[in-house]
Amino acid sequence: MHIPDGYLGPTTCGFFYIVMLPIWALASKIVKKTLKARQVPLLAIGAAFSFVIMMFNVPIPGGTTGHAVGGVLVAILLGPWAACIAITVALVIQALLFGDGGITAIGANCFNMGFVLPFSGYYIYKVISFNSSVYSARRVIAAGIAGYIALNIAAGLTGFEFGIQPLLHKTLSGKALYCPYGLNAALPAMLGEHLLVFGWVEAIVTALVVKYLQKQSPELLEEREVA
Amino acid sequence: MKKNNFVERSILGTLSFLKESIFADEYALKKGFLQSLDPRIKTIIFLIFILQILFTGNIFVLLYLYALCLLLTFISKISLGFFLKRTWVFIPLFSFFIAIPAIFSIFTPGEALVVFQIANFKFIITRQGLSSASLFVARVITSVSFGVLLSITTKHFELLKVLRIFRIPQIFVMTLGMCYRYIYLFIEVIQNTYLGIKSRCGNVFSVKKGQGIVAWNIASLWQRSYVLHQDVYDAMLSRGYTGESKTMDEFHATFKDWFWLGLTILIFGLSLWQNHYLN
Repeated sequence: MHIPDGYLGPTTCGFFYIVMLPIWALASKIVKKTLKARQVPLLAIGAAFSFVIMMFNVPIPGGTTGHAVGGVLVAILLGPWAACIAITVALVIQALLFGDGGITAIGANCFNMGFVLPFSGYYIYKVISFNSSVYSARRVIAAGIAGYIALNIAAGLTGFEFGIQPLLHKTLSGKALYCPYGLNAALPAMLGEHLLVFGWVEAIVTALVVKYLQKQSPELLEEREVA
Repeated sequence: MKKNNFVERSILGTLSFLKESIFADEYALKKGFLQSLDPRIKTIIFLIFILQILFTGNIFVLLYLYALCLLLTFISKISLGFFLKRTWVFIPLFSFFIAIPAIFSIFTPGEALVVFQIANFKFIITRQGLSSASLFVARVITSVSFGVLLSITTKHFELLKVLRIFRIPQIFVMTLGMCYRYIYLFIEVIQNTYLGIKSRCGNVFSVKKGQGIVAWNIASLWQRSYVLHQDVYDAMLSRGYTGESKTMDEFHATFKDWFWLGLTILIFGLSLWQNHYLN
């Protein structure tokens, strides 16, 4: 889901940087206000954790594997605003130091994976788990459903961003200047693979990690004070 | 290696990825052209190049920018073989395969260039489709090459320090700097954990067991991380941390840096003009 440089036109890239600027500013303000000095390293650890989650390949029946984004998991563990910062940092490191995701697309990538994914997933998890005990199976199911739905929302958005490129940037002769596929191709392609494969990977990882933490360290699943 | 041994593939893939990154830092230490520039000015120069690529709608302008990137690679004493392998293997090759259907009339209608038939299906390659797909691949490869070139010719901690100088909020830069170090630590923890699992359980896992192992690894990593953050904070306190972090600015821009920045802006202006003229 990491969008590389060259897929999105300047309008889309600029738009998402403009959209993300107030979100980053607000996240920074909220987290700074609620974050205790003792928890500062936790944010960095959350970012590294999010980075590492994206490197784990999870097996799917049929011999294939896929990797999770872990956005919902980080949001459950740190809260959505802190997750927004942690995932942004992980995405910036991936783009700047490892070339995974474009520099011009950082705004769009952060919007999809650092904002929409953790926030939608976190609130879906909150609604489904609704005041249930930290030990309840409902939390495990809620985490899985939240992971699946949130990842597909983010993938749908990415497909939409690809699909509008030929509408926004096209020469008079009909030559597409950026991503060459319209909504009719980009949206089903992105949604299809996430609905069938990657959504399940995200669901399995999020649910199983919550299940393991319920057994090992249930206190880590309690509401964090980090935003 | 067995096909279903995904955990080992994951770990080995991650390690080789990180080794490559450490190897890249070796290039940043070489005495080449880009390595000699002030990291702040160099970052601005590269951002201008990447923006230029984004705004360019002409494949010839993109090709000359790509040639310029290869020239910069050469004069920065980076092995062209290493650079081409690093920049072509993942994203551009993937983009190339993605672009192939776009050359056909099904996705990009237009003037027919080549018409052929396979079984009962008629395929038409259009001029617009071929042109769009070539432009798309050329843009991706050029952008990725510039991005990677910046990353491998700049020490990673310098690149992170540049962000602070660009007035990125402190909480992001501080998190970035610390996170970068934890990534290596975490990979080591996972590698050791996996080695432990392998020595006790052997190599082959079922899909279900494999999912459990990955999830357990992630959960255990978070548990350890949570404990670690308290130790890290105590270490920070003992070194005089008062809630505000300080970054040292040791960069010095010289006439050479300003000259190259001026030249880049000139090239940017010229290519914008050329792009407008050619389109």
